[in-house]
Amino acid sequence: MAETLLAAEGLTKRFGGVFANRDVSFTVGRGEIVGLIGPNGAGKTTLFNLVTGFIRPDAGSVRFAGEEVTGMRPDRLCHRGVARTFQILKPFPRLTAEENVMIGALTRSGGLAHARAVARRCLALVGLEHKQNVLARGLSTGQRKRLEMARALATGPQLLLLDEITGGVDQPSIPGLIELVARLRDEGVTLLVIEHNMRVIMGLADRVVFLHLGEKLAEGTPQEIASHPEVVALYLGRRDGH
Amino acid sequence: MRAWLAQRVEGVPAAAVVALAAALAVYPLVATQPFWRHVVIMSMLYGAMGVAWNILGGLAGQVSFGHALYFGVGAYTAAYCYKFLGLAPLLSLPIALAISAAAAVLVGLPTFRLRGHYFVLASVFIMEGIHVVVSNWDRVGAAIGLEYPVYKASGFVDALWHGQFQTKLPYYYIALALLALALVAFRAIQRSPFGMFLVAIREEQDAAQSLGVNVARCKLYALIASAAITTLCGMFYAQYVLYVEPTSTISLLISLEICFVAILGGIGTLWGPVLGAAVIVPLTELLRAYLSGRIALDMSGLAGGGIGAWLEYYARGGGGNLDILAYGLVIMLIARYRPAGVLGFFRRID
Repeated sequence: MAETLLAAEGLTKRFGGVFANRDVSFTVGRGEIVGLIGPNGAGKTTLFNLVTGFIRPDAGSVRFAGEEVTGMRPDRLCHRGVARTFQILKPFPRLTAEENVMIGALTRSGGLAHARAVARRCLALVGLEHKQNVLARGLSTGQRKRLEMARALATGPQLLLLDEITGGVDQPSIPGLIELVARLRDEGVTLLVIEHNMRVIMGLADRVVFLHLGEKLAEGTPQEIASHPEVVALYLGRRDGH
Repeated sequence: MRAWLAQRVEGVPAAAVVALAAALAVYPLVATQPFWRHVVIMSMLYGAMGVAWNILGGLAGQVSFGHALYFGVGAYTAAYCYKFLGLAPLLSLPIALAISAAAAVLVGLPTFRLRGHYFVLASVFIMEGIHVVVSNWDRVGAAIGLEYPVYKASGFVDALWHGQFQTKLPYYYIALALLALALVAFRAIQRSPFGMFLVAIREEQDAAQSLGVNVARCKLYALIASAAITTLCGMFYAQYVLYVEPTSTISLLISLEICFVAILGGIGTLWGPVLGAAVIVPLTELLRAYLSGRIALDMSGLAGGGIGAWLEYYARGGGGNLDILAYGLVIMLIARYRPAGVLGFFRRID
């Protein structure tokens, strides 16, 4: 495996008496696409929030590019090269697509003109260049997902965390989004991806981490995960799957 | 030239802006009665404060119900420094701005990291707390306040240095300059990367933070900028009325008037507060003037007269504060018919 870019060690988060994540450890190597899968309520988004600094873990640590970043604020993490999208999309609704992406570029370098150029390039990369002057709230769900990716890319990330690539998107848009993620990897971005659609993740990820009830149940190549007895049992709903 | 005049400044044609500026510049030469000058001076003063409030409230979406604190800091610093330290307004200006920034940090630092309405609450309670402190602090005149020693200036430059004029005309143009300053500052911030960060915070704070925006710091800078202009307005007010006391400076009513000007006019817009002030300030000043002679009403009929007598008493201005009732009425009407503010009457809301 390549150089380790992200290393999560023993991450634990409790909400009241419930473990949202319990002792979860995994690594992401530079240049990889790692899939994070699991049933609803498995703790995938909580894990994202722990890694990106939106919530602080009760125990465990996060290292990014060799440095300890546990509990670091999201904006500081962003400056180090970690960007994310949100499962429940969070565009700036009353800004245009271009302005949305400019925000990401502006935190990296001052000038408006430069930010506009970066925004145009990122919008073109995700295929939204024709929407640059449309208010974000006027975009479709699929377009808003692309917009969030463009916005995150404008910060020049080393690691991009995508929370649900295809969730809530109409069927015909899915292949384009998958292709986009693959293209981002070719651009040199490392990706950690939450995805519900097994077929999508199997075709995309180098490795897959499987979460269930907050704990890491399995990790491996897509093929290994697909044939993992507990994963099969959970996804096919069999209780005697061993 | 014609092409330039057809340009728009935040939705208003440049020609209209020039016309407004010219009209405001000429107005006091036409309106020579002190009262009519006073109405426009107060409108411009509140317009400037509404624009300043809008930097934080409109761009960053952080509603402050405590801006009277910064107004009071300006008014009291100017009065105290002049009366006790013999400092002219220009010399007390940096002191006032430093205290204003310190007050902004006191309010903003603990609350801007938190989500939700903590800042709103903190802004009110700290302002009210300072009101109580000032009201009981003998050194600054307690509840009675501070009266300026009247200065007889020899010549215009001397009067300008002391900030005391015999007529309203110089005050008028200083208020106009304050309004212009507030508008220029708002527009400069609005069009800067910093302004875009503020709008991003208003629109979706989590997303802004995930994109590298230091949310707490941006809000704090916006508050400091907003407070600074409000403090300048407070200094002007003290020099204008030559008397400061807690209720007319550091009070909830003043705080509400400042933010109503922005909210009624059109929150987050450059021209909204100007329009809001142009509507609401003359209304209240006129009501105040109209009612001031009628407050000492005969109350003898109230005891046995029942509710009808009370209603008549209030309708005729008894008890004062009818201007505040008028405020409430205007707010209800605008909230009902044009929630986006008075600007909404002039343009479609998209």
